[in-house]
Amino acid sequence: MTLLYGITLTVIAVSGIVTLLRLVRGPLALDRIMALDVLVTMTIAATAVGSAARDDTTAIPVLVVLALLAFIGSVTAAHLIEKREGMR
Amino acid sequence: MTRSGNRRADRVLPALRHVPMIVWLWLLWILLWGATSAVILVGGLLVAVGVVLSFPLPAVLPGAVPEPLRIGRLLIHVLTDLVKSGCTVAWQVVRHGRRVSCGIIEVPLRVDSDLLIAAVAEFTTMSPGSVVVEIDRRRKRLYVHALPVRDRRDIAHRRAEVQAMERRIALAVGHRRGVEDPGPNPARPDDARDDP
Amino acid sequence: MSVLLDTVTAVLFPAGAAFCFLGALGLVRFPDTMSRLHAAAKAQTLGLVLVLVGASAQMPGRHAPALLLVALFQLFTAPITSQIIARTAYRTHGLDRNLLLGDALADRLARDGTPLGGPGRARPDEDAER
Repeated sequence: MTLLYGITLTVIAVSGIVTLLRLVRGPLALDRIMALDVLVTMTIAATAVGSAARDDTTAIPVLVVLALLAFIGSVTAAHLIEKREGMR
Repeated sequence: MTRSGNRRADRVLPALRHVPMIVWLWLLWILLWGATSAVILVGGLLVAVGVVLSFPLPAVLPGAVPEPLRIGRLLIHVLTDLVKSGCTVAWQVVRHGRRVSCGIIEVPLRVDSDLLIAAVAEFTTMSPGSVVVEIDRRRKRLYVHALPVRDRRDIAHRRAEVQAMERRIALAVGHRRGVEDPGPNPARPDDARDDP
Repeated sequence: MSVLLDTVTAVLFPAGAAFCFLGALGLVRFPDTMSRLHAAAKAQTLGLVLVLVGASAQMPGRHAPALLLVALFQLFTAPITSQIIARTAYRTHGLDRNLLLGDALADRLARDGTPLGGPGRARPDEDAER
């Protein structure tokens, strides 16, 4: 089981690094918002795997909050960009 | 029925309409606490009622009777759709990568209710290879960005898929009007008889 | 029972991680914002949901529902986020028109007399303009 957790966490971590590439490269601000959203998703996934590995449930309420915050954050940022484009 | 009975029904029914929401919020509260002590149960009920009373939602779909069996089937369909769409996208990533071909498709809808159109848009985004770009509420149209689209046949196929999903949703909430009548599909996308 | 749950986790964790990875790969490989959105919205969501269900199989009974709840939130919010991002991307040239087979929305906007600006040229970085 430990090996399984290790592999899963490694793959998620590699995916996170790949996503960082898109976050750095852009080219639109929207791409960055999307990449950040995906990064938060991966954080949630990795934390869930970690909780399962260590039989530790303290992080679970944090995951609920994180999921909601990611949603609100992405939507707000996308709206902001749309508004800014509209003013041009 | 007497007039006073009518009036009482008018008063009681809107209150009943809130019950599912209160139950759902209460359940949510208990799940988040992960325990069922008396304080949590009573407190959760108070919070649920408080939230519903301070932020009342408008009635959606008056007169619709949900059909549990169809809702169950809809949920199963949506879940399999999600798995399929994950696989579709993954395959496109591996196989085509930079040279992916897509299209934006106009889908005329038949349902005419905010909730149903939102549900159709939501489930369409979950279904394989399509993301809703724009919702034209007034003309009842969805504009869908579809990922592997190669020819006209694909476009027609995708449109039919979205409309099948629409029909499934409408039937699941018991909203038969509009999707049952077999009349001609109200809109071929390129006809010019739109409102000005 | 424990063996069964362990099997569920052993299947779902690698599958979820694989979808996470494919989603990230799609985010890098796909040519325009709109198709990247597909990778972010679907492969990614599916990956997270699989991992969460796998993790909830390992949790003590009273904590498992909270994890499933997170999965449910994700299922409901991901389409909404992606619709709003798609809508904004369409209007801010996040779309490579050379890839498109047909664009019914552009036809519609042209008929309404409110076409968008020139053909899909990717706008240089927003942040770099400052």
